[in-house]
Parts: sequence; C-alpha cells; structure tokens
Amino acid sequence: MTPRPPTVASPGVDVRLPLAAYSRMTFVLRAGLVSSLTILAVALGFYLVQQPSMTSEGTIGSNPALQYLNLNGLWAGLVTGAVPAYLTVGLLVLVATPLVRVLSGFYYFRRGGERAMAGVTITVFALLLVGLLLVGPLVR
Amino acid sequence: MDLALFVLLLVLIGVVAGLVGSLSGLGGALVVIPVLVIAFNVPFPEAAGAGLITILATSSTTGAAYVRDRLSDLRIGMFLEIATVPGALLGASATVFLTHADLNSALLIGLGFVLLAIVPGSIARRQIELPVGVVPDARSRRLGLSGDYHDVALDRGVHYDAGSTSPALGVMFGAGLVSGMFGIGAGVFKVLALERYLGLPMKISTATSNFMMGVTAAAGAGILFSAGYVNPVLAAPTALGTAAGAYLGARVLPGLRNRTVRLLFLPVVVVLAVEVILRGLGLP
Repeated sequence: MTPRPPTVASPGVDVRLPLAAYSRMTFVLRAGLVSSLTILAVALGFYLVQQPSMTSEGTIGSNPALQYLNLNGLWAGLVTGAVPAYLTVGLLVLVATPLVRVLSGFYYFRRGGERAMAGVTITVFALLLVGLLLVGPLVR
Repeated sequence: MDLALFVLLLVLIGVVAGLVGSLSGLGGALVVIPVLVIAFNVPFPEAAGAGLITILATSSTTGAAYVRDRLSDLRIGMFLEIATVPGALLGASATVFLTHADLNSALLIGLGFVLLAIVPGSIARRQIELPVGVVPDARSRRLGLSGDYHDVALDRGVHYDAGSTSPALGVMFGAGLVSGMFGIGAGVFKVLALERYLGLPMKISTATSNFMMGVTAAAGAGILFSAGYVNPVLAAPTALGTAAGAYLGARVLPGLRNRTVRLLFLPVVVVLAVEVILRGLGLP
C-alpha cells in the first residue's frame, strides 16, 4: 500500500504535484478560452458584415471553412484576410487548449520523476495529435 | 432566415444551454444539439461538431475554476483520459462513417436513446458524500491514485484512494465513445465511473469529470473538425453563448441547488430525446 500523504489544511488533492501545476493549468485553460472566444467573436462580427445577404439556409450544410482545413490553405487565407480562416483559427485555439493542458501535465510529471504518469500523459497527447492530424483527414 | 438573426438566436440558445447546463451539472450540449437538429434542420454531424465546441468552451470555463480551487484530481483525471480519448476518436470516426453511409437517422435515434439513458443516471446519483472501505487495486497503488482535500462543509481533511481501475477504464472508454459519437459531454457516465468504481468522494468526482471533459471533447472535435463537420458559423455563436451562460451559472446564481435545477431540466431532456428519435424515424 502506498504511504498516505499528509492531509493538507487547504484545498489541494494531490500533494505530490507542485502548486505551480494547478496554477499553470488554470492559466492555460483561461488563456486558451479567452483568446479563442475573442478571435471567434471578432471574426464572426466581420463575417456578418461581409455577408449581409446570406441566410441561415445558405450557411447550414455548407461549411465556409472547408478550404482552410490544411496548413497551406489556412496560411493563404490568413494572409489574404479571409474571415473564415480567422474563424478556423479561433476554433483551432479552442481545440488546442486541452492539448496544451495535457502537455503541461506531462512536464510536471516528468519533472517529478513520475515515469509512469509521464508516459500516460504523453500517450494521451500523441493520441489527440493523431486524431487531429491523421484520423480526421483520413476519414474525411 | 437572415444570417445575423440566426447567429443571434444561436448565441441566445447557447446562453440558455450554458446556464442550465452548468447549474444542472449536465452540460450545455444536451440542449444545443437537439435544438440545432429539430429547430434549424442542421445535419447531425454539424450539430455534433457544434456540441463538442460548446463542451470545450464550458469545460474551460468551469474546469479552470475547479483546477484553480485544486478540487480536480489531475493525476486520476489524466490517467483516465487514456481510455476516454481512444473512445472519443472511435466514436467521432464512427459518426463520420455513418454520415458517409447516409445513416444520419440511425445517429439521431442513437442520440435520443443516449439522452434518455442520462435521465435515470442523473436522478439516481449516489447521495453518499464520502465513500468508505475503498480498497485500491495494484494499478491504483503503483500510480499513486489517491489524494487529500480539505472539505469545507465537514471542516476536516479527507483522504481517499482510487479503487478498481479496470472497470473504471472500461466505463470511461464507453463515455468517450458516446461523447465523440454524439457530441455530448457524457459527464453522467464519467461520474458513474469515478464514484462507483473508483470510490471517489462526490466533490472530487464532479470536479475531475469536468477537468477531463475538455480533453475528451478535443479528441472528438479534432476528428469532426478535420473531417469538415465543424461549421464555424454554427459553432462560434453557440460557443460564445454557452461560455457566457456557464460563467453566469457559476458566478451569478450560486445559490440555486444543483439537484433542483437538474430535476426541472430533465423533463426538457426527455422531450428533446423523444423529438430526436421521432426525427430519426422520419415521423412528424
């Protein structure tokens, strides 16, 4: 049986992880959320201004971001100021936020010498990348 | 309908979904997906894509608060993500394949039954705050899946150990599958695994489930996004609305009882589930 860690007086469920791990992950989640929502709100405003005659029927079932789903297309869209490319970036930041959180978990477990947990977190990170970069385009 | 009005409606639906979802603890996607399908005739995979984006927004809002308060067990959460992520990848891939096979109706019927399955689990949630007699298995001991926290209500320190990890991993895989396939958070199933199989205290289960929700949703959203099923004009306003609603739910109305809101909200879920099943069966 694992020796019981001392009971902490203040909230904090895992005394083996440094407090910085909690504050860093909180920061990652908040920064990711705020930046993605800001990009999405601004880009959505521009999209509505640019498409005054567009209807909901024209939007549903026709994804305006389809041509920006690869790096080259996305970069070209950003350089030319295409609003759907910026909407795509906003969504990507939102999707990437948990990935960065997983990566920060890996950092703290590795720094604490916990090889098993570091292995678990890096496997989760690899699976997320495989899903985003390989499986998604493959099943498209 | 005019696009600006449509976007405004989506933001409002998102606010209501985020508010009710955060107050009931069931998440906003349960409302967003059926409403998109029933009210706006949005194809199922696009609705599921928007649902996963709303989960990402709400889990970052509420999940960050739980992590800040150090109530989420990062170790247990990250350990269980090794099961939820493959489940979500498989579930989202299945949605894409079923859509390509023109089996959207099967997905709608499946979503309806999953929504109905959530109802008894939400009502019959265990009422024991602190479980007793939990025996950690070998894997739990090896990975150190245990923790301590100060329970403010009980005014004492509480120690807990994670019990049976194998069945918990199995349930988590299923939760990931459901989340990726139907675009919902599947928090009820995650809490079931955390409370029933790992024997975690109620507060830690809720906070850890919320912490894991974002990574599971990111796995499913990654697939649907790169497959072209996340339409930003649908997903962006619902994400903005649900994030605002979840923030309001967490900050402005903390006095409302979670269970009361949940019991009021569940009949709405049942109606939406029946509507979705009827839509899947091609009935009016």
